[in-house]
This record gives sequence, structure tokens and C-alpha cells, in this order.
Amino acid sequence: MRGLFNTLLANRKAAIGAAIVALFILVALAAPLVAPFDINQRVASPHEAPSAEHVMGATRMGRDVLSQTIHGTQTSLIVGFAAGLLVTVLGTAIGVTAGYFGGKVDEVLNLFTNISLVIPNLPLMLVLAAFIGQTGPFVIALIIGLTSWGWGARVTRAQTLSLRQRDYILAAEMLGEPAWRIITFELLPNLISIIGFNFIGSVLYSVITEATMEFLGLGDPMVVSWGTMLYHAQSTSALQVGAWWEMAAPCLALVLFGSGLSLINFAVDEIANPRLRTLRVPAKVLAALTNRTSNQGGRA
Amino acid sequence: MAFLLRRVGFYVAAFIVAATFNFLIPRLMPGNPVDIMFAQAGGTLPPEALAALKETFGFIDQPWPAQFVTYLKSVFTWDLGLSVKFHPLTVNEVLLRALPWTLMLVLTSSLIAFAIGSLAGILAAWRRGGSFDSIGAPIALMMQAMPPLVTSLLALFLFAIYWPVFPTGYAYEPEIDPGFTLEFFCSIFKHAFLPIVTMALAQVGGYLITMRNSMINLLGEDYIVLGTAKGLSDRRLRMAYAARNALLPTVTSFAMTLGASFGGALVTEVVFNYPGLGYTLFQGITARDYPLIQGQLLIMTLAMLTANFIADVLYVALDPRLRKG
Repeated sequence: MRGLFNTLLANRKAAIGAAIVALFILVALAAPLVAPFDINQRVASPHEAPSAEHVMGATRMGRDVLSQTIHGTQTSLIVGFAAGLLVTVLGTAIGVTAGYFGGKVDEVLNLFTNISLVIPNLPLMLVLAAFIGQTGPFVIALIIGLTSWGWGARVTRAQTLSLRQRDYILAAEMLGEPAWRIITFELLPNLISIIGFNFIGSVLYSVITEATMEFLGLGDPMVVSWGTMLYHAQSTSALQVGAWWEMAAPCLALVLFGSGLSLINFAVDEIANPRLRTLRVPAKVLAALTNRTSNQGGRA
Repeated sequence: MAFLLRRVGFYVAAFIVAATFNFLIPRLMPGNPVDIMFAQAGGTLPPEALAALKETFGFIDQPWPAQFVTYLKSVFTWDLGLSVKFHPLTVNEVLLRALPWTLMLVLTSSLIAFAIGSLAGILAAWRRGGSFDSIGAPIALMMQAMPPLVTSLLALFLFAIYWPVFPTGYAYEPEIDPGFTLEFFCSIFKHAFLPIVTMALAQVGGYLITMRNSMINLLGEDYIVLGTAKGLSDRRLRMAYAARNALLPTVTSFAMTLGASFGGALVTEVVFNYPGLGYTLFQGITARDYPLIQGQLLIMTLAMLTANFIADVLYVALDPRLRKG
């Protein structure tokens, strides 16, 4: 575990990504302390442009956009991490169970995984949210978690299937170890990089999906999050009256946080699959290939 | 053939599951949605719509299994009832009006992204660590982290509001009569341009990365070394040997991305007020038009299944191993 952590930090992409994500988590934790204004107070004139006092301008209601973005980080991150965790736990549990037990269990679980992958996610979530009616951040996290586990389950299952053939798993089975022990102590530790990859990707996906659902008006408009900020900006025609900062602030937060997470994921991918590393000396074959390409001009 | 038949069986199962969800969701929610809807609609809902609603949803005084049979019958005869928001129109008519616009957005943007992304991925992998790879791959990565919501809002602000070269809504100028005229097609093109570009941007990075990674993995294979030893031309080795096989995982991800791009189309359509399925679903949700919402889910699932089926056919065409089995 510590080895993995050190490798991650040694990778420049991962280090930058981790720094960005850590900054957002800090901002979320310290939101009431770092936000310059009370988000429920009218502190500026409507649609006030960015200035030294209001760095990211003000909304139509005269509320400070920067302070809202900072407070919104809390909701967006909580929903992102909660939904991401739910997606990962469900995906891992279903994938490992299907891959380890095989047979009928695998057939049924795999069928449901594949079905969940071909039903369009966002429309399904919107339909669920529409029927539930009042959807606060908690319900949104639940909806995302319950509808989006398919991809993780598929990847985990594939990896479990290949691990299952290894000798040490067979040995453990011969020793009569119970299935739950083999899964928790033999399989899961070897799946950690896939689970981590899945978790980071799911958090990113959840943050974006939450913002999208709230932008479409399916969230609780009283909650301050990046998504509801976009919703209010849209419903007060902020762009049309030139108050681009109301959209820009939550968008920038979304993109920055997303970039941080995908940098980490990209690095995890490189570490897990050394062939993808760009800075390492390529394999012999590739060296031969590049030599050949540069020599060819002379020969022809 | 056996492979394709098995897939068709799977798609039928998937459709039935989606339809079952559609049946269960309103029934598992607290309260009777028909009554709630009637209360919410106030006086705007005509009584015949209410009756039609009850009938379409199968909310009749019968046990669930009997309701389910009635419901399934209405699904398979594609009798989805009346829309509440677009009242005199049936759900079918509303969906049919919106479907072509979404199909156009999704197909055009996906094909553009697929072509550009895959070619760029091949180039990046071939000269790995070169200048194109070191700039292209991280940019693709950043673009993948850009939510469609953000890109479309940005495009709307920059190119439709701040510098208004493109319109901010609709599929064509309302004063132009639809027909086979150059003017009409130009108008469609102008209105679809920003939505298509933003949707393609959202997908292109994914194809680049998938193609690059699967190419890099393949370049280490023995048969490539053999090809090199045989002195095959670079071009042939790159396109016929490596890229052809590297395309296989991309085709599957093409099908998966098509699904995601229906979601992306939804967001883009709402931002650009584009009258496709997504925008109609959005209108249905704000109006609590439950029959329309339910019909939407069914038709979007159907579109998604069709897209997957096409990807399956392509897969068989690309991978000779599947043709025998």
C-alpha cells in the first residue's frame, strides 16, 4: 500500500492531480472560514461584475459568487465521494461475486451488468429523479450510485476471472478456505489498483452528473452546490445579460477538480500498465521500430 | 451469425428489463402518480388525458401482474398514450418529431469524434513520446475531464452570445419553410454546428486515449516484430497490422460512448434549446408529463440498443474469429 502511494507521488501527473484534489478537499472542509461573504446575504448589486472586493462577481440576487462556489464545493464533493463510493462498492461486490463463483451466479449477474450498461444512464436517472420528486443531494447520490455501477462491475469481473486461475487461489481452495476469506484476503488486495481506478473515475463522474442533474432543475434549489449555481444562473439568463462569471465560477471549479482526478487516474493507468509510460525507455521492439523508421530513408 | 443471434436475444432481454423499470418506478414511489400529476397540473389537464393516463400506465383496479400484462401490451404495440404538456399530440408524435434531430446530433458528432480521435491515437502511439504524443495525449485527457455541460455553456456564450455567429436555439429559422431547399439545409447546418462540435469535443479525447493505449499494447506483439523483420512498409504495418486490430476495443467503446452521447446530447440540447429527444425529456420533466417521460426512456433505450447492435455487426466484420464461431 505504502509502495503504491510512493510510486504515485513520484509520478509528476499524479502529484499535480493529488495536489489539486487535496486543495479542493481543504476548501470544502474550511468553507465557512475561507468564504469572504455570507452566502445568504445580499452583499453586492445584481449581476455585479468581478472586482477586487467580489473576485468572481455577484449573482442576480447580489450574492457573492466566490463564496457560493466555496460553499458549493462542500455539497459537490460530499455527493461526489458518497456516490463514487457507492458505485465502487456495488461494482466491486457484483464483479467479484460474478467472477469468483462463475456458473449460474456469473450468468445472472453478468446479464444484469450488461443490461445496466445498455440502458442510457442520464435519462434513467432523470426519470427516477422526476418520479421521486424532492431530490436533495443525498437522494441524488443514491440515484447515481444505484444506476452507474455497471462499468466497474464489468472491469472487476474480467480481472477476477483472470486472477481466479492463479495457483495461489487454487491452493487456498484446496486448503478449504471459505469463499469470503479468499475474496477478502486473496482477491481484493490484488484488485486494489482496479478498484482505485474505478473509485476515482466514479467520483469524477458523480460530481459531473450531480451538477448536470441540478442544472436541469432536478435538485433542491435551496442547496448551494456547483450544479444549483448553474441552475440559478441559467434561470436568471445570466449569460444573456453578460454576467458570464456566474456560469464561469462553478464551471471552472468542475473542470479543475475533474482535471485533478483524471491526472491521478492517468497516472494509475501508467503505473498499472508500464507499456503506456512515455518517459521510460520503450521496449526493445519499439526501439527497433524507431531505428527502422529513421534508417528507412537511407535504404530507399 | 450465432454470435449476432445471441446478442439479439440479449437486447430483447435488456429492453424488457427497461420496460419493467418503467412499469415499476411510478408504482414503487409513494402516492399514486396519476393523482399527484392531476393535482400538480391544476386545471390544465383535460379529463380525457387523465383517463388516457390511467389506461396507458395500466393503473386500473387490478392486481400488479394483470396491470403488467396490460402495460406490456401497450409497450409492444407502441401505444404510449397522450402527452400532457403537448396535449393534443400523442407521446408517439412528440417523440417522432424529436428523434431525427437527436439522431443527427449523436451520429454526426460520434462519427467525427471516432474518425479524428482514432487517427490521432494511431499517430500518437506510433511516435510515442514524440511531440504530437506529448501534447496530444494530455490535451485529450483534459478534454475528457471537461463535462459536456461546461463545453456547451462555453460554446453558447462565446459563439452565440458574445460573438453571435451562431444562433442560440431551435433547429432552423422558424420563418423558413421546411423542404428540400438550400436555404433550409443551410439553416439546419448553422443551428446544428455548435451542438455537434461540442458533443464531438467531449468524445474525441476518449477515442484518442483508447486507440493510443491499445495500439501501444499491440506494437509489442510478436507478429508486429515479424512484420518488421519481413520488411513490410511502415504504412502497411501501421494501418493493416496494428491499427486494424487496435480498432477492436475502440468499436466496443464506440457503442458504449454512443450511450453516453445520448446523455451528452440531452445536456447539449437543453443548453442550445435544440428540439431533440433530450430537450423534449427536459420539457416533459419540468411539466411533470409522466407519459412522455416514460416514453422517452423507452425510445432512448431502443436507440441505444440499436446502436449497440450496429457496433456488434461492425465487430463481426472486423474480427474474423467471430465469423466462424
